[in-house]
Amino acid sequence: MTIEKIDLDLCTGCGICIDSCPMDVIRMDRAGQKAVIRYPQECMNCEQCALDCPEEAVTVTPYKTVPLISSWG
Amino acid sequence: MSRGTSQVRRSFEADVLVVGGGLAGCTAAIKARQTGASVILVDKGFAGKSGQTPFAGSYCVFNPEWGDDLDAWMEQVSSIGESVNDRVWTELCFRESYERYLELLSWGVRFGADGDARAGVEPQRDGPPVGPCKAAMMETRAPSMTLRRQVLKHGATIVDRTMIVELLTSGGQVVGAAGIPADAEDAVDIFTAKAVVLAAGAGGFRPGRWPIDNLTSDADCMAYRVGAEITGKEFADPHHARLDQAASVMFGRYGRDPEGGGPPRGRFLDSDGHPLPPMGVLDLDLDRAVHAGHGPLFIEMPDGVRWPMVGGAAGGMSVHKAEGIRPAGTDCSCNVAGLYAAGDSLGTMQSGATYAAIGQSVLGCSVTGAHAGAGAAAYAARAGGPAHPAGADVERAAEAITAPLRRSGGFGPRWVTQMLQNTVLPYYVLHIKHGDRLRAALANVEFFRDHLVPKLYATDQHELRLVHETRNMVLNAEMRLRASLFRTETRGCHYREDFPVRDDGQWLAWVILRRAGDGMELFKRPVSAEHRPLTAGGVQ
Ligand SMILES: Cc1cc2nc3c(=O)[nH]c(=O)nc-3n(C[C@H](O)[C@H](O)[C@H](O)COP(=O)(O)OP(=O)(O)OC[C@H]3O[C@@H](n4cnc5c(N)ncnc54)[C@H](O)[C@@H]3O)c2cc1C
Ligand code: SF4
Ligand code: SF4
Repeated sequence: MTIEKIDLDLCTGCGICIDSCPMDVIRMDRAGQKAVIRYPQECMNCEQCALDCPEEAVTVTPYKTVPLISSWG
Repeated sequence: MSRGTSQVRRSFEADVLVVGGGLAGCTAAIKARQTGASVILVDKGFAGKSGQTPFAGSYCVFNPEWGDDLDAWMEQVSSIGESVNDRVWTELCFRESYERYLELLSWGVRFGADGDARAGVEPQRDGPPVGPCKAAMMETRAPSMTLRRQVLKHGATIVDRTMIVELLTSGGQVVGAAGIPADAEDAVDIFTAKAVVLAAGAGGFRPGRWPIDNLTSDADCMAYRVGAEITGKEFADPHHARLDQAASVMFGRYGRDPEGGGPPRGRFLDSDGHPLPPMGVLDLDLDRAVHAGHGPLFIEMPDGVRWPMVGGAAGGMSVHKAEGIRPAGTDCSCNVAGLYAAGDSLGTMQSGATYAAIGQSVLGCSVTGAHAGAGAAAYAARAGGPAHPAGADVERAAEAITAPLRRSGGFGPRWVTQMLQNTVLPYYVLHIKHGDRLRAALANVEFFRDHLVPKLYATDQHELRLVHETRNMVLNAEMRLRASLFRTETRGCHYREDFPVRDDGQWLAWVILRRAGDGMELFKRPVSAEHRPLTAGGVQ
């Protein structure tokens, strides 16, 4: 499941992972306090968010699921 | 910076605009600043964290004082690159490599096993046993942030998280670019510049197993749309990866290595357990084994563990420096005035039809970055006052770029991308090629181009980026299919089942693609006579 979770107990809202993500997967929550996984479909498992988070709050796995093929979308 | 009305959120102006903040773009920005030009660098991610630069390791360095023989190094590239390397660029990169290496050291980039390489002392250098070319190891991930700091220290402005979508022209000359910021809805940023350097990297079809999903050939595509010549789309990059792990490169490729990475040490096996060559034309031999019915393939580790493998890890990308905007000279200009390119966006053909030497890619980025930065700054100095894009042109561009946000329906970019992947990622389309299959795929891609792309819609600014990336991936697919059909021979990473033999009589040449009205024209440009191998009547 690519980026799996951001541990909100650990996240300090520093925003580093948002800059680290080349795919714009992570955004700040509305209150600007915590990082949230906004667009998980685009995660390419590059691991940069997890490696750069000073609090080790981000979990990334090497697995990715894609939607079933549909005839339109 | 000023704020406007309608979709235009911000307007920027500089002598030189650099698009992309990898090794090539950062080097270009610094070099342009060193001449006194004002510089803005814009990146669709965060410059220093995006693109392929964070993942590179080996950096090719040639130095006669270390006993290196230029003729022998050139011979390695020409023979493995199958004589379609552009020897001007191959040689220029080797000759300048030591100067660029020293410069990177002076900027704080660390080389050597312990990051302890020093100027004046030969670092440990290695290379596969195919010839004399060798590379020093650069620390991974850190150099791109080191370069970012240097860009800022040299006084350039960085605009992060804005994807450049189109170049702006006036009187046939590039005078800026328009892009979409990630963090504002229905917004466009306008950049006015006397010269533009495209250093936006390479691109693929979001293959998911190589960390290039953010690279969608944007530079090639926007340059093509304003008339630039594009080359090298037929030479596929056939890297493999683990079947069961997305982006397995990042996860140690074959399980995490407690020592921290390093090359795979296993051996490749076919479905019967027979060993396969570790590397033919890169990994194309693995595709050939599968095509012959010997799949699935495995990699067997020394401890006997077998991982299932898959090809096409970097599907949609070419051998680095093969694809891209074809340079018109060593200043990295092209056939469109005011437009420069560097790094993976520039098709120097430094390595030819396949990867001919280790660490050439990042070396090429340093060298072309330096040349493009200086070249663009010199052009800007000659240009005098800024040639502003016409206001009406800016409004039209902004309107067209944001139009997918105003479509109430149509096709979603994720779905169109998936349909494109189904059409062009299978090994039998762009790796093991045949005219019939290429034409069949092209018929589909033309349908995507004509029917799906014009109806792409976006529900927010993030999806707007996906729309423009999807549009570029479709164009990249068309370029690859047409270039592959056009080159009726087999050479390096271009394999045609129906033309399985290398044909030096016809094809010591580069394929060039160019926009002609609404169509795409293709022609070949011969490798210059003095650079042909002896067997083909050359003088070498
Ligand atoms: C896993 C891996 C290992 C590698 N190992 C090596 C190695 O050991 N040796 C070697 O020589 N090479 C290696 N390479 C290749 C090398 O990394 C690249 O050739 C090189 O980094 C390209 O640099 P660049 O500056 O041209 O582009 P990139 O580093 O790809 O940077 C392009 C930048 O442009 C930005 N961008 C893209 N489109 C737009 C747009 N529309 N608007 C604004 N910005 C945009 C991106 O966000 C990115 O920051 C490796 C690549 C990978 C993926
Ligand atoms: S880098 Fe870590 S601490 Fe900082 S915002 Fe992201 S998850 Fe939170
Ligand atoms: S793994 Fe990479 S792509 Fe995925 S969320 Fe993290 S930084 Fe973004």
